[in-house]
Amino acid sequence: MNNTGTGRVIVYEPNQRVRMGFAESWIIMLRGIIGARELIWQLFKRDFFANYKQSYLGVVWIFIAPVVGIISWVFLNAAGVLVPGDVGVPYPVYVLLGSSIWGLFLSFYANTAKSLKDYSGLILQINFPHEALVVKQVAQTVAEFLINLALIIAVLIVFKVVPSWGIVFFPLAVIPLMFVGAGIGMVVAVITAVAHDVDKAVAALLGFLMYLTPVIYSPDQKSELIRTVVYWNPLAYLVGGARDLILYGEIVSPAGYTVSVLLSMMFFLFTWRLFFLSEHKVAERL
Amino acid sequence: MGDTVIKVKGVSKKFCRRLRHSMMYGTLDVARGMLGMGARTDELRPNEFWAVDDISFELKRGETLGLIGPNGSGKSTLLRLLNGIYQPDKGRIEIRGRVGALIAVGAGFHPLMTGRENIYLNGTILGMTRSEIDRKFDAIVDFADIGEFLDAPVKTYSSGMYVRLGFAVAIHCDPDILLVDEVLAVGDFNFRRKCYDKIGEIRKTGASIILVTHAMHHLTAITSRAMLLVHGQEKHCGDVTSAVDMYRRLSTNIAISDDIEKVLSSTEKLTVHDVGFYPSRKLHPGDDLTISIEYEAREDIHEVECHVAILRKGDCEFYFVGSNRSVNQSLFFPRGKGNFEITLKSIPINNGAAELTIILWEKGRIRVLFWWRNILLSFGQAIDSTGENYIKVSYGTKVLPG
Repeated sequence: MNNTGTGRVIVYEPNQRVRMGFAESWIIMLRGIIGARELIWQLFKRDFFANYKQSYLGVVWIFIAPVVGIISWVFLNAAGVLVPGDVGVPYPVYVLLGSSIWGLFLSFYANTAKSLKDYSGLILQINFPHEALVVKQVAQTVAEFLINLALIIAVLIVFKVVPSWGIVFFPLAVIPLMFVGAGIGMVVAVITAVAHDVDKAVAALLGFLMYLTPVIYSPDQKSELIRTVVYWNPLAYLVGGARDLILYGEIVSPAGYTVSVLLSMMFFLFTWRLFFLSEHKVAERL
Repeated sequence: MGDTVIKVKGVSKKFCRRLRHSMMYGTLDVARGMLGMGARTDELRPNEFWAVDDISFELKRGETLGLIGPNGSGKSTLLRLLNGIYQPDKGRIEIRGRVGALIAVGAGFHPLMTGRENIYLNGTILGMTRSEIDRKFDAIVDFADIGEFLDAPVKTYSSGMYVRLGFAVAIHCDPDILLVDEVLAVGDFNFRRKCYDKIGEIRKTGASIILVTHAMHHLTAITSRAMLLVHGQEKHCGDVTSAVDMYRRLSTNIAISDDIEKVLSSTEKLTVHDVGFYPSRKLHPGDDLTISIEYEAREDIHEVECHVAILRKGDCEFYFVGSNRSVNQSLFFPRGKGNFEITLKSIPINNGAAELTIILWEKGRIRVLFWWRNILLSFGQAIDSTGENYIKVSYGTKVLPG
């Protein structure tokens, strides 16, 4: 509300934002985010720590879900149910990395998608840049993943797989996934604030998309169909690239990866603009 | 703009009555927004209405404007428009300066966080910087008066403490323009007085205030101008007395139609055939009202309890509640047809509309025999009165020789 200095005149008019150019909208949102740094931090603290206050185990819960996930994959592998193809490393390690990276992508989406709906009370009471909520949700996703990552590295060491030096570039490899996940999330956030079922529909769709991406299987499949799907699926390159960095220290298909990264960037800037144009129509429907 | 801090020109906002339509329109508007077409905001679609309709006004530095009007007249919507929470559908709003809003207190409070943590959280949400909160921390704690609960989770607070803390944070954000929505109605007397003192202080710094209230004495005490909103439209904007007067007349002149809610007129023991009001349901302050109930009892009914209440129209505040028990009177309805009268003597309600409720109970209040409510009464204005709670007192002064 108070992101305005004295003396500056703020104007509210119908369809104000539609008249703004692409660059202008990005600059305004960036400025809003920078101005709301403290707000983002306070909200982050509130939601990340305060939620675990009234529980015996507290923050330990952040570890429990991924551990259960790991156990289930290892179990399925030991039971011989899954035939993943040759991946060059122990299968649990492969699938753990893949599913964690996919999970990160999904969380980017899911957390962003609920950023407006979950904060409707705040939005209705106070005027603040709503993109701060998106940033906060993304930050929370990253924080949870960092904890997850510590676990993954522990598992790698148990299976005697030494992570490649490429792991130092891993944070960079996560950014395109954020672009796609948060990008879809921002569009869904606006629509889902108006009609509450859209986020569920998209989540179901993304669940299906996981099987079209080499997350739990190797991209080297005999099936022509799967190879074609994987070839045209940008997420296959983004998820695969991030995993390759840790396991092999290089990106296996650099050309496809580069194209996918560029696409994800463009997609993000575009959805950011969509979010900017439409989110201020949301308050009255919450 | 010069000295003007708020300039509102032809501002309108529409809302939708039905959820289904609202979803549909919302999706459509969002989609149009995304496609860069802008929403069609200037005309109404089916089931839409103007919640705020073509409002224009200006507010200068240091001025205070009161917003009054019946529930649903668009006061809160107007405040949200001024605060930038809603976008106008028509017109233009210009604001100069830092806006502070007491629209709902305690925004973003987390119940498991301590009072101390929540002061920082809430302060940041309201746009204060960390160092600003550090600086004002003691003043906020002092104002909220929560004592040793400062380091307890706010979920352990009483609702009064919760509101006080929220209000304390909000009121310390040093706004150039302060928007206040009814929140002063909460808290105990002492806290309300503190709030008024603080608002007075804020006024002295030259800030402008817009205040939404139902309590007319707040208006006359704080504001220099008032605007009366009815169905989103501006009915009057100017001096407080005539705005309040118009509002009063508006509520008194409600046509007495038969929208009485006849919750229960007949049971197997008792049937009420008619209820009469004498002299009429349009009264003047100090008039007597006699309610005559024509009944038919199918058996002897002993120790009937008769409750009568007069409520202020539009809210749940009682003007009067009484029963035959409170005056130690026993009621007996013999079998057959009969007539039963209740008389309320010299009702001192001034200049307002009221609702009458009548309930007849069986002995020990085990079963309701008869229940009508929302019986509209209107009271005219006593000569020379200014307030709703106007009562006539005999008044004399005398200077005694020393």
